[in-house]
Parts: sequence; structure tokens; C-alpha cells
Amino acid sequence: MLFSYNWLQEYIKGKLPAPAKLAELLNMHTFEVEGMQKKGRDTIFDIAVLPNRAHDCLSHTGMAREIAAVAKLKLQLPKTKQIKVQKGRLTPLKVRIQSTELVPRYTALLIEGVTIGKSPKWIAQHLEAVGVNSINNIVDLTNFIMLETGQPLHAFDYEQIEGHTMNVREAKEGEKLETLDNQVFSLPKGALVIEDAKHLVDLAGIKGGKVSAISSNTRNIILQAANFNATTIYRTKSQLKYTTQAADIYAHQIDPNLAMEALERAYALCTELGIGGKIVQVVDLYPKSASWRTKRITLDMQFASSLLGIPLSQKEAKRILESLDCQVALAKNRLQVTCPTRRLDLTMQEDLVEEIGRIVGYETIPAAFPIAPIAPPSKNNELLWLSKIRSAFKGLGFTEVYNHSFIGDKDFSPFAYSATDKAKLVEVENPLSSEFSHLRDSLLENLLKNVRDNQKKTETIRIFEAGNTFRQRKGKFAETNMLGALMYNGSFYEIKGVCDFILNSLGISSAWYDEYQATSKESRAEIWHKGKSAEIKVDGEEIGFLGEISSRVNAALKISKPVGALNLNLQKLILLASEEISYRAPSRFPASTRDIAILVPLQAKVSEAMNVLTGAGGPMVRDIDLFDMYEGEHLAQGKKNLAFHIIYESADRTLTSKEVDTLHNQIIKAVEENPEWEVRK
Amino acid sequence: MAISALKNSALEAIQKAQNLAELDVAYKAFLGKKGELTLILRSLANLSEAERKTQGKEANELRNFLVERFAQRKQEIQIGEIGKREATEHVDVTAPGKRLPKGHMHPLTLVQTKAEEIFQAMGFTVAQGPEIETEWYNFDALNIPANHPARDMWDTFWLKPKNAGYLLRTHTSPVQIRYMESHNPPLRIIVPGRIFRYEATDASHEFNFYQLEGLMVGKEVSVANFKAIIEEFYHQFFGKPVAIRLRPSYFPFTEPSFEVDMRWGKGKWLEMMGAGIVHPNVFRAVGYIPAEWRGFAFGMGLDRLAMMKYQIPDIRLLYSGDLRFLQQF
Repeated sequence: MLFSYNWLQEYIKGKLPAPAKLAELLNMHTFEVEGMQKKGRDTIFDIAVLPNRAHDCLSHTGMAREIAAVAKLKLQLPKTKQIKVQKGRLTPLKVRIQSTELVPRYTALLIEGVTIGKSPKWIAQHLEAVGVNSINNIVDLTNFIMLETGQPLHAFDYEQIEGHTMNVREAKEGEKLETLDNQVFSLPKGALVIEDAKHLVDLAGIKGGKVSAISSNTRNIILQAANFNATTIYRTKSQLKYTTQAADIYAHQIDPNLAMEALERAYALCTELGIGGKIVQVVDLYPKSASWRTKRITLDMQFASSLLGIPLSQKEAKRILESLDCQVALAKNRLQVTCPTRRLDLTMQEDLVEEIGRIVGYETIPAAFPIAPIAPPSKNNELLWLSKIRSAFKGLGFTEVYNHSFIGDKDFSPFAYSATDKAKLVEVENPLSSEFSHLRDSLLENLLKNVRDNQKKTETIRIFEAGNTFRQRKGKFAETNMLGALMYNGSFYEIKGVCDFILNSLGISSAWYDEYQATSKESRAEIWHKGKSAEIKVDGEEIGFLGEISSRVNAALKISKPVGALNLNLQKLILLASEEISYRAPSRFPASTRDIAILVPLQAKVSEAMNVLTGAGGPMVRDIDLFDMYEGEHLAQGKKNLAFHIIYESADRTLTSKEVDTLHNQIIKAVEENPEWEVRK
Repeated sequence: MAISALKNSALEAIQKAQNLAELDVAYKAFLGKKGELTLILRSLANLSEAERKTQGKEANELRNFLVERFAQRKQEIQIGEIGKREATEHVDVTAPGKRLPKGHMHPLTLVQTKAEEIFQAMGFTVAQGPEIETEWYNFDALNIPANHPARDMWDTFWLKPKNAGYLLRTHTSPVQIRYMESHNPPLRIIVPGRIFRYEATDASHEFNFYQLEGLMVGKEVSVANFKAIIEEFYHQFFGKPVAIRLRPSYFPFTEPSFEVDMRWGKGKWLEMMGAGIVHPNVFRAVGYIPAEWRGFAFGMGLDRLAMMKYQIPDIRLLYSGDLRFLQQF
């Protein structure tokens, strides 16, 4: 809210600190001053009144009270005038309220014979200082009182209120109301409205109705200072997506005792503003049972000083609380504190400690380490392994990316989302734009967009991301922590090498790759190259998927080279990860290497060949290593060549050349048992 | 030829040889199958025993001597040749080194890891929670009732259908609730994680970003304790003592509440986090007895920390996937 320095000065005895000093005091003890601007001889502050102080500080007197407390100055409140009712000729107004819960207090003055005109200069200056236009003396009066006291006022043209009755009630769904600013609202159920004998005349607490507006012909007015239910006003303004300063104040709830004070202040100003007229009726619906009384809180001094961590004397605490208009009685190690009704936020000891803490100044609190057990924190395995994975990717030359958690309209076509796929997505009720309308169900789509955007800038794109993905089924949401990686210009075998490296660095040795029914659980099958992708399985369970991205997707994104992709379920991966490494002594005796090249049909698997080699070789075979796989020119149609190094070794002696030859010949024989396989000699 | 003369002419030949081929010729001339010394050695058999003894000893000694000298000379020539060859080879020392593939971690990962290390060393356990939250955990349990203006402090993404009450967490604070529900006090946790705000983006705003939440619950936890922990954190994080100050603020889940500023550069104060003493209603929501426990809680933006540490001017770079940016870390 905007506050005028000069206006604030009017409520303070003695001189206010200079504007910059005042702003600093408020910053450190009350609210943040977000802006400060010189305007002629005045300075205008933009002060962010905190939501828990909106009930008493969205006004110049409220702010002056704070300033008096933090600057140790005395307050001088504006003049009010005891209301005197005179006899008039107008029919008295009948006001009914639906319930005290909805309208804790309803007060109004019926003023007969007012003169509408221009406000005196000083009023216009006050209003304009804080950005409110001067309109006429009546409207200015209501605005001035609100800015001064924090109580919203509203003036109705008495003649426009049919039947001299006002009924404050909850609206029915869809009722129509046109407000002063020519907006027609279709009201939500439960909005507060005021109705006369014929129509709705006011959107209570938010904006006046057009029909009852003050005009140049207005002679008699109803000046209302009501107290409306905060929740109702908040809900209505949120539903209508429409607000006014009055609505913002009401939504935070205000003290009902303020209503009559505000009317008394208005009465005092009527003459000054040339409004004149006489008060012929005072309406005040404020049942004793519902009226607000002061609250008492017992403050334990030991509690207060141990919470803040500083010694506090009773005397100092008392002085501070009294400067905030509380009444304080001393008891043994305690204070009995009576809080003013306008301080709705003061309900418990902690609230008083905050008041003392901020007025004393948090800067006076020294830093002191807590006394706590030295037990080490428990390990977070998930993060530990994730950090290993990140290091492994970094070691492989991958760059980590953080993408948004959203996908949207533009993604459905290039990534081939079917209607069924879309039904599984989690949709945002209020997206920022159609580009971010749904939560990502996989990391790969956004990573592929990264490839698309980077391919013109660099040749080598190796990226990875760890993050949550989202699915829904029948209104239930599933959130999965995933790991995605892409290699631009990368083949199936390269990304498989990456996968092996990652699994290896997590101590997972039991993974295998399955092309049979290659259907990915955590990503959609449509994005994968059908012939160059595989499920990654451990103990029969899919932990991820890898392969090349479908050229259809590449074409849609204009990605010019094949992309190797890896998608791993981090949660499953971490459960499988193991730190256990057991050392195996290398043999002290030299190893011998023999190579074998096998010509096999194209569809034969390396793993089949490996199985035969391992099976036939026996325990003296330490390692078998595929070093070449070739298909194409110089080979028979439909064949490919697999070449392996076989390493022979014994733990207790040096193998003779003859022994190795015998073993190797056994292997060759075993391979040749398959009529379609041929060992190239 | 006498042995001594032979020795001199052999040494001369060794010295004269300028390369391995010449040395080989000289070797053959003296020590080869038909070399002079070889012939002498072979002729020893024809001598009398007495002559054989003296001449044989002399000839054998010379042979051993020459073998060693040939080897020496061979090494000299080899070293000389390597030197000559290397003198003709060069590199341009100003040309760039060959580029090896290098990986990079995201600046937010770096910052988060560092923060975790510092807090873990002070006894804080790292906890985590889901990004899709219920209205209860994100708001109600944190003393932010429905239809209360305090909710406006968090611009929220709701999920369809809205009446189901699911949302994208607007802060990491729901994890406080989840953790306290399943753990008894005293406790110390931090919660790093992604959060969401319904907010238009600009250089300092994103709609998904990172927060690090902290919570310490004990018997006698104070504002002074909070100050010490946070000062220590910043000190270690930025590698030098850092001045902080607390200003009054308001959060429904803490009372008192403050804003924490840090002095940056020449006297400029930057808003770093919100914090406060845990509100009794939060303890009530998780079934703790408020009179028995007290705690402090704080929430800081990790993006902000990364931007300060690495002088990143625009938060959107962090989520851009632009390798020219990411590969600087």
C-alpha cells in the first residue's frame, strides 16, 4: 500500500525521522518498504504490509501506530465527534442481516440533506498523494476514512433504495449485479450482497452497485461502515477474480469495533468537507454476544528469552508491549498482557515474543550454536547413488541438463502421443500456457528437444538428466524418479556401452538386454527404433530401456543424425545398487591369447556365440572379448563375422602352448557343431 | 700384429665409426668370424702351452675390453642419433591441446551438493518428498487454511480435476510435515527439491525452480541458534565470513517469522530466505506436543545461490538446456 510521509506525520507528535531513516526503521522492525519516491514536498512509501497485519496496518493511523512504537514517538490520533441524531423527515431505513457470522457488525448513518460538491484542497491532496483521484466530497470522504482508519466505508443514495429496506444476504448462484464501474457480474453462490425491496444494490464489501450510486442529484445518503465475514469476501473476490482495496482489507478480517470509530470520524469531517446535512438515524447491528472483547495472554518471561536466545527484562518487555497499545500487568516471572481488539494477530505467547523480538531488533540477537546430540545424520542412499551416477556420466563426457517438468500441445505430434498416451498424462488445471499444459511422463522428450536446439551449435551432444516423471490412472497419480541420457550421432552399441558403464559403476552385474517383446514401461514405444532397442532387465524385471530413437521422431524434430537413448528407472536402479566389491588376485602366471573369427548368419546373437565359447573353454578361459563385428562387403550374403579374443590363463602354472592349442581346438570344434556357423581359419 | 697394436687400431676404428653401420663394419673387422682378433684367438691352439697361456690371456682380455667398448660406442651413437632426429621434429606449443571428452554437472547440482555437505556436517539428514502434493500437506498442515488470504502468498499450479485437491508443491515445506509424521523429535533435516509456482518467467523468475528447506526440532531451539547455523552455512558456502540480518516477516507456519538478508559486495543486502520458529499448529498437525518441542525452519532458493556463486544473470539459463551455458561448469 502507498503511504504519504506528510500524512503519517499528522498522527505523530514531534518530528518523524527523515524518510530514508524511517524506511530503514520500518524495514528492520515492521514491514519491508519496497519503494520510496519524492513527490513535491512529500515522500511516498510503498510498504508491503504483511498479511497478518493487514487488519490493522492497511491505513495511515495503523502505520503511524507502528512508527510510534519503533521510533519511540508519541501518537496523536485524529479528532472524532460523538454522533448526535436529529429529527428528520426521512423514513427510517430497515436493515436485516442473514447472520452475525456473515456480518459481525453493520453500522450506518442516514444523513439527510447533503450537499454534493468539490472537496477542499487538502482532502484532494491527501488522496492524490497515494494515487486516489478526488471525485466529490462524499466519495472522497469514504476513501479518505478508509485510507486513514482502515475501515472501508460505502455511501448509498438513499432515494435509490427501494422500500427503505436493506437485506444483507448470500447470493444465489448466477444472480446478476452491475457494479459502479459498469461491470456486470454473474455471482457465485454465497457471495454477500445487499438487496432492497426490488433489486441487488451492492456487492457487499467489494464494490457498490450501480443502481444505488451517488450522483450529482443525491440529497440523502446512507453512509455504511460494516464488518463482513473475511472468508466470504476472500472466496468471492477469488471466484470473481476481481478485487478492490476494500475487499482486500475485508478479506483479512478487521476489528468490528473500528466501524463506529470510523463513522464518528466521518461525522467530524462532514462539516469540513462541506457535506453538511443532519444525521437522522444511526444503524448499529452488533449483538453483545458477538461483540469483540480484548484478549489476555500470559507471557512467561523465561519462555520469551529462551525462544529468542537473549536475556530479557520484564521492564523492557512491558515497555515494548505498551508501546504497541497493550496493557501489561507484572506478575512473578510473567506478564499479563491485554491486547487491543484491533490486533487480531496476537493470540498466543509466540505472537508476543515476535513483537518483542522485532521491536528490540533481531540484530541484537547473537549467533549461538544449538546444543544437540552429535549423532551423525542418517545416510540418504538415493542421493548417494545419484551422485555416483552423475559422476559416472560426467566421466563419460555427458553434460547434465535440467528441463522443465512440463510438456504441451506442441509435443504431442512430433513425439507421437496417441489418445491413450494422452489420457495417462497428468494435466495442469491452470497451465501458464498450452506449451506447459501437462506434466512430463518421460525425460526423453524434453532431452530430445535439447538435442534439436543444440545440434546447430555443436557436434558433440551427450546429455543426461535425473528427474521426476508423472502418470495418472483413474485419478491416481504416480511419480517416478527417472534417469535419461541421449547421445547425438550415437549408435545402439555406444549407448549400450554407456549403460553397461553406469550399471557397472553401481555394482549391478546381473543386467541383461531383451529384445523379445521390446515394450518400454516408462517411455512410449513410439519413440524407439523398432529394430535397435532393448529392454534392460534385472531378475526378470524391466529397469529401463535403451536404443536408438525412431527416425520418425528425428524427422519430426529435424534432428539430422541418429540418437542413442537411455531411459532408466532410478528408484529400481538404486534398490539394486551395491557397494560390495570383492578383490580377486590376478594370476601370477602369464596369460595366452588366441583369436577366433566366426562367420554366422546375420540374425545370430553375440550372446549365443559367447555362450558356446564360454561353455567349451572351461575354467582356463579368463575372458572372451568381442573385438570386431562386421557385415557387408567381402562376406557372403546374409552372414556376419564375429571376431573374439580368448584369454587363457591358469592360477597355478604357466600354460604351455600345446595346452592352449588343445583348449582352443575344443572351442573351435564346439563352434563348428552348429552347421550354420563357420570358423574362419 | 702385436696385441697392443691391434688394440690401438681397434680403438681407432671404434672412435672413427660415426653410425651403426660403420661400427658394425669395424666390429666385423676385429671381432667378426674372420676378424683379426678372432683369428688370433683361433690361432692360439697352434702355440705351445706357455705361449698360449700368456698370449691367450692377453688376447682374451682384449676381446672382453673391445666388446665393452663396442657396446659403449653403440650406445653413444644411438643417443646421438635420437638427439639428431628429435632436433628435426617439433610441435607448435601455442596450438591447442587435443580435446578429450569432458562431462559437466549442472550448476544446481553443484550448489545442492555443496549445501548438502555443509548441512550434513552439522548433523542434518537429507530428506525428500513428492513433487505432486495434496492440499493438506502443502497448505492446511502448514497452518495455511483454505479461503485465507495467506494462500495468495503461493501462486499454485493445480492438477485436474481441481476438486481432487492435488497440486504441484509450491515449496519444500510439505516434506517437514511428512518427515515429522514418521520421525520422533529431536531432529535435524534439510530438504532440497524442485518446487513450482504459477508465475510468468523473467530473468529472476521461473515456474519450476529449487528450494532447500531446513528444520531443526529440539527442546530449546532459539532464534540465536538459527542465526549461528545459517551464518555458518553461508560462511562455508561462500568460503568467507558473511554478514546476515533478520527482518520481520510473516509465514503462517512460523512464529516469529523472518526474512534473512545477506550482505553482498559493498553493503548491498540481498534477500536470501524466509525462516522462523515453527508454529505450534504445525506441531499439532503432526501430533507433536507444542509445549514440549520447539524448532526453527527455513527455506532458501538454490537457484539464487547458484546465480550468485557463478554470476549467472538470468535464471532461465538454468533450464535452457543450452550446452554453451552448461559446459562452463
